[in-house]
Amino acid sequence: MTSPAAPSEPKISIYQGSTQFRNWRYSAEQLAQTRQTLNEVAIAAIRKTFETDESGSSQGVAFLTADEEVLLVKLYISKITQLCGLFRFPEEVEATAVTYLKRFYLKNTVMDWHPKNVMLTALFLATKTTNNPISLEIYTTHIPKTSPSDVLDLEFLVAQSLNFEFAIWHAHRALWGLWLDIQNLSSYTERLDTEIYDAALNHVRASRLTDVELRFSPSQIALASLSLIQPELASQWMESKLTSPSEVEGLAKTVEVIKSIVVSQGLPPSVESVREVDRRLRLCKNPEKVPGTKAFLARKMDDDRLAAEKRSKKVADIQRTENGDPFGNELGQKRGLVDYDDDDDDD
Amino acid sequence: MDAVEKANEERQKRWVKDKKVGEGTYAVVYQGREAVREPSAPRDAATGRRVAIKKIKVGQFKDGLDMSAIREVKYLRELKHQNVIELLDVFSSKTNLNLVLEFLDSDLEMIIKDRALVFLPADIKSWVAMTFRGLEFCHRNFILHRDLKPNNLLIASDGQLKIADFGLARDFADPGYKMTCQVITRWYRPPELLFGSRYYGSAVDIWSVGCIFAELMLRIPYLPGESDMDQLKTTFRALGTPTEEEWPGHTKLPDYITVGQFPKPPMRDLFTAASADTINLLSKCLVYEPRKRITAREALSHPYFFALPYPTLPPKLPKCSAQLAAAAAAARPLEEVDGNVEMNSTGPGVKAKNTGLKRKLTSPEDAKRSIARRLDFTKQTPGS
Repeated sequence: MTSPAAPSEPKISIYQGSTQFRNWRYSAEQLAQTRQTLNEVAIAAIRKTFETDESGSSQGVAFLTADEEVLLVKLYISKITQLCGLFRFPEEVEATAVTYLKRFYLKNTVMDWHPKNVMLTALFLATKTTNNPISLEIYTTHIPKTSPSDVLDLEFLVAQSLNFEFAIWHAHRALWGLWLDIQNLSSYTERLDTEIYDAALNHVRASRLTDVELRFSPSQIALASLSLIQPELASQWMESKLTSPSEVEGLAKTVEVIKSIVVSQGLPPSVESVREVDRRLRLCKNPEKVPGTKAFLARKMDDDRLAAEKRSKKVADIQRTENGDPFGNELGQKRGLVDYDDDDDDD
Repeated sequence: MDAVEKANEERQKRWVKDKKVGEGTYAVVYQGREAVREPSAPRDAATGRRVAIKKIKVGQFKDGLDMSAIREVKYLRELKHQNVIELLDVFSSKTNLNLVLEFLDSDLEMIIKDRALVFLPADIKSWVAMTFRGLEFCHRNFILHRDLKPNNLLIASDGQLKIADFGLARDFADPGYKMTCQVITRWYRPPELLFGSRYYGSAVDIWSVGCIFAELMLRIPYLPGESDMDQLKTTFRALGTPTEEEWPGHTKLPDYITVGQFPKPPMRDLFTAASADTINLLSKCLVYEPRKRITAREALSHPYFFALPYPTLPPKLPKCSAQLAAAAAAARPLEEVDGNVEMNSTGPGVKAKNTGLKRKLTSPEDAKRSIARRLDFTKQTPGS
């Protein structure tokens, strides 16, 4: 019509065009590697900060391992569920917040940012990105010992860590679609019991405690969840959708992998097991990120000094130009020496 | 420095702000370009792609990141289509959120209002086709735009039309899930929203396209109501008061109100020069019963688009004077024209001062909406 169709780009599905598919899918090895690297880099940096503060002070500090970090995050995933129950948020908010929390810790470590705070921010952000906003004041007054700044201070960091990619495709939505679709299977003439759906949904919910959403597509997770309840139904549906036996076999294999992960890891960790990790975290937290510590103050002073330098340079620049104007500017609009609103000194 | 901060800083370095082109209460817009990576490149050759950088001041919101900014980022991050504005990058600077958008010279409103331009039926067909293409892609992605109007349809220098401003967009809700009816600028708002319907779908956007389609032919807004009530009256005067038969159940909508009985005048009376296909597609966009309104997908295969004259190729579409000035400016090295060219045309979602009628969303949501999505260019800002 208006122009010939661009032949360069092959057609892809909507899901394949999503940021979730393009930027947030990992293999098991990639996940482990990412977490290991983050953990090592963080430990090295924190050790250095300790040593700068007081030589020899990093000796004997038992830093967390990557696995322990994952365990701690998992505990706070289960806290999101509790909070969502308290606020009666829709399932989409909960699922989105959980995804945000997981993605956040693929870019950051718990030794820098404690999941307790990040979880609160991720959930608050999720209410907004899913179009279920509530006021920050109401949000924080219903959560014990939380002030608005606890949530807001981290919002930018969380959004940035998510790469501002807020749209999430969820397995529970895929399950609903699957549930509607299997009712079209010719072999099922009777009405399917909704208990099947409810039970499968519980597996989808359990899957949120695992890494499967970082490795597989929502529809694969939904299919695996159904398969845990009604394996027969799941394979019939697969066969109705796929033509070649090798495709069916491939998908069945993926489904089995997901099933085993959901069953073995889809439980909230016991508070006991996490308590010890959390206790050690208090000792090995990055002091630069803990308000009030020497390292935190030192870093803040550094930042402030840089900002002040930038500002005075700007003043100098403006003065120079103004002095250079042979006609003066008395008749012009009086402007402050520094336009604080115009903080366009991003370089 | 954290990896996240570092990545952000690298992003930030990729883009250069050249000059401030607009300022509102909550956002400042800069014209900028992509930083040249290789210093060895000839100075006059690649100054990098031109962009618009929309800097949203976030620090001042008590609820943190603002909803319109979140919506805009969320949807534009996912949508990549020839007829949807491209979000090239997002980065933060202190407490500001910076959206790097492709630079677009003008918008459909400026073109419609440029009295020097003559539109051929083929030109209108081209703009409508591009609008439907972009919208079909949004709807295919389960996204409702909810604020289509001529000045949200931006025009690139190659003539391509791009849907912009996703500050009111949202995902389709499940049936039975309530949504706000206070969306879409009044003149482009369908009657079901004026009657307070809280359950609706992609048909609301189609109505807006119908109004824009009509405006392209008339060169003035088709249904310019002065208030929400007057909007209904204006609509019914133009299209006849709906009957129970053509729109079952509409009298039961929450804010239903009778505004008088108007006969249905033949569309041909107003659109005298339009072909039968044109009138057919237009009237299918303006069907009262939302479920019977044409979908974007169906519209794309409507005979109108396949009948002669064929749509004008985008580069050959009429250009308004601002576009021509910008094109001339772009042909010269940037440094020479800096501060010389009259910037009455700028980037996405942010346009130069329009002297004519202001199309504003006058609804309760307007007051709540906290980012300035229409910037005020009436006062000259000193070059930054």
